[in-house]
Amino acid sequence: MDTVLSKGVFSHFGLLEVQARNRLIRPQQSSRVKELKAEVAALKIKREQLKAEIQTHKTLQKLRLSVDKQSIDKEVEEMEEEFADTELLKLMAKHSHIKDLIYAHHLLGGYNIIKTNNDKAVCVSLATAYEGFYLDTYNLEIDLRSVLRISHHNIPPFIPLNSLAEQSNIQTDVKAFLELLSLHLNAYAGRKQQLKLVKEQFKSVEVMESNTLCTLLVLMFTASTKRTPVLCTLDYSDHTKSLPTRVLFECEDSDLPNSPEWKEHCSLLMETPVHKALMILRNVGDII
Amino acid sequence: MCFPFPVVGVSCKRIAGNMNKENSEDVKVLEAQIERLREELVELERQKQNNYKDMTFSFTGEMQNALSFVCGQTQGRRKEVVMSQLEEEVNKMEEGLRRQTQMNGINLDSCITKTLQRSENKCIQQLCISGHCSEQEFQVEFQLSEEKQGDSSVRTVSDLNIVMDTTDHQSFKNFMSGAKENNDLLLFFRTLRTYLERCNDRCRTFQHFQKKYPSVVSLPGGCRSEVMSLSHPQLPGLVMFIHWLVDVSKEGKVTSKMDLLTKIPERALQLFPSLSGTTEAFQSLLRILGPEAAVESVIGAISLSEDT
Repeated sequence: MDTVLSKGVFSHFGLLEVQARNRLIRPQQSSRVKELKAEVAALKIKREQLKAEIQTHKTLQKLRLSVDKQSIDKEVEEMEEEFADTELLKLMAKHSHIKDLIYAHHLLGGYNIIKTNNDKAVCVSLATAYEGFYLDTYNLEIDLRSVLRISHHNIPPFIPLNSLAEQSNIQTDVKAFLELLSLHLNAYAGRKQQLKLVKEQFKSVEVMESNTLCTLLVLMFTASTKRTPVLCTLDYSDHTKSLPTRVLFECEDSDLPNSPEWKEHCSLLMETPVHKALMILRNVGDII
Repeated sequence: MCFPFPVVGVSCKRIAGNMNKENSEDVKVLEAQIERLREELVELERQKQNNYKDMTFSFTGEMQNALSFVCGQTQGRRKEVVMSQLEEEVNKMEEGLRRQTQMNGINLDSCITKTLQRSENKCIQQLCISGHCSEQEFQVEFQLSEEKQGDSSVRTVSDLNIVMDTTDHQSFKNFMSGAKENNDLLLFFRTLRTYLERCNDRCRTFQHFQKKYPSVVSLPGGCRSEVMSLSHPQLPGLVMFIHWLVDVSKEGKVTSKMDLLTKIPERALQLFPSLSGTTEAFQSLLRILGPEAAVESVIGAISLSEDT
């Protein structure tokens, strides 16, 4: 009877235990477990995605190298069997190759031609740079119908656009015109940048005068000997260059500009960009 | 029966305790697994970034869609659709590239980008670009840094290196070393293009004269050299050289300079003293007639005007 009773009690307990598990305890306590399991699953998916991305990237790198070398590697040929998406991957490699080449054209200062207005006009960009600094980019739209005509542009008004177009015969040779215009714009950008650098780097040099095209620059600095102020005029009459065509020193001490030292400085300023020439003069201690 | 209830109550607590223990063990195992996975992800992310540093691709537009497809992140998209859309974009870009190549006169074969540094405000990339202009092959390598400064960003080129065979181009070589030193990437390409165009003009002109006057004109250094020599078969002692120099200044200005040099026997000079002034006379001809007509008239003179 005892054993029966105990059995009965135990089996009753057992039943209760199952019920309790199902009804009371399980839902509450396992929600945390569920959450964690879901997180594990999510992380595993992310891991697989990352692995796939890395694998794809590696494959693309290999393919790109072979596209850029313009030869098909053995390795790349063998890939055919390995991946189901080889064809798509090859197209992706080609896509990135062309995209990078277009970007490279842009970085090297290409004209960046874009057709506009139903192919009746083209937009051309002219990049300017000076000593590693990319400066302003100018744009012009050329109307291609019968007579070539510049319809819109943002070239500064002091650049003689129309006379350059005439001079280079835009009607027959657009490239020659763009080349000449680019030469003028870059020379201007170079002179402007030099002026900016002079203002930034030389607090003791005063810019007395300059014009918008930056073809005339009058500076005042102090000669170290006797602390005499010197007026230095730089004349850039060749607008396709960023070096002056004439340099003139004026000073109360009239002997100074004629001294061999300052004659040398004069030719230095003729051959060296002004900010660099001033740096040299300051380093040798001839100006303050 | 009144006793089972308290027993059950106690027993329930015991079971709950066991369950808690089981659960907390599960939780511990899962948490450890999550921790491991997270570490693995960090490592993978690092690996991915490193790969991107080695060779940087830009995944935008159709390229992003293709990437998602290949990595199995898009369900339900058909491969053909992804392919054809990407192909369409490739074709459009190819046309654009053709236009740039034709207009810029520069053929690019390869451009590989590595990312050296990337932060919110600054990005430094290493680029290696190779291609050719006319027949001349080149390779340039430089660092491109882009830094945000207020609303605009400043882009600069540094550590410029240019590899190009300049054996026959002395003046260009001098210009090139200056351009390298000053990181004048854009100037280099502008000048390269103009310089090679002038060299091609010279080559075409030399060839034209050689074809027109084969008995008089010879090109001892080939059509790409600076010299064209003129001599008459019946006057072997007398040779004239047209020296056509395409010069590049340090600033990148390309100029052409033509000279006439002569090899005239002493005896002939004694008989015809006026021959000694040929070089100067040629310069006047150049000024008056322009290069082509000037050369033509010299050829006419040396070929004794028979076959002109």
